[in-house]
Amino acid sequence: MPGVVRLSIDSDLNQVEFIARAVRSLCDNLLGREDAEAVELAVVEAMNNIIKHGYQGRRGEAVDVNVTLTRSEVEVEVVDHATPIPEHIVKGGEPLAFDFDATDVAGLPEGGMGLTLIRMSMDEVDYVSRPGENRLRMVKRIAAR
Amino acid sequence: MTLNDTAHGDVLVVHVEDSRIDAARAPEFKTAMTERIDRGHVRLVLDLSKVDFVDSSGLGAIVSCLKRIGPRGNLAVAGAKGAVAKLFALTRMDRVFPLHASVDDALKSVAG
Repeated sequence: MPGVVRLSIDSDLNQVEFIARAVRSLCDNLLGREDAEAVELAVVEAMNNIIKHGYQGRRGEAVDVNVTLTRSEVEVEVVDHATPIPEHIVKGGEPLAFDFDATDVAGLPEGGMGLTLIRMSMDEVDYVSRPGENRLRMVKRIAAR
Repeated sequence: MTLNDTAHGDVLVVHVEDSRIDAARAPEFKTAMTERIDRGHVRLVLDLSKVDFVDSSGLGAIVSCLKRIGPRGNLAVAGAKGAVAKLFALTRMDRVFPLHASVDDALKSVAG
């Protein structure tokens, strides 16, 4: 049953939903509903970050997604050739993203939540940036059922 | 992105008819909501009962609506469930937008 599915889209926010739906349906038989939803959110946030920040909204670049399914986990690897995530953000993981004052409406965050949500949604997250290529690897373990 | 409005006294209920508010749709959603706020609708209920996915860009757009309204009014969220309710909880935005099970419950909380 272990298998690898390779998906690729153009760097266009309108196409992220296709990957989201594909990954979601690959997970549906393996993970419970909440875990499958968590994986979908993490994948979408990762792709949005690459397209919005890495490629700065530029279309015509490839974003590749490799989904590896095993008996024990779902691994999603997102590969891009864009500007990498700045190192201080990778290390710090936007730790203060959700530590806001709920009564200060004007000061509420409207962005900068993506990486924190990815970390909260997945069991393992690591990011490797080499010249010309970035790989974000995210793992969700399959709960014993 | 399709939004339908129903007026309840001075409260405008905005029903989101799409199943997703994501980064691709967030700008259009924000523009449509801002238009309503700038027309003077500052007591709003956002009905998310048909929405099954919101990402942080969609959530950011909802937050920006609340900022636009500011101290003049209020924005309540109704019908958020599953992954949508979970996103509000994960980001702790449920402290800012109490989640109401139904539009009727939300109406009570924003009525002036």
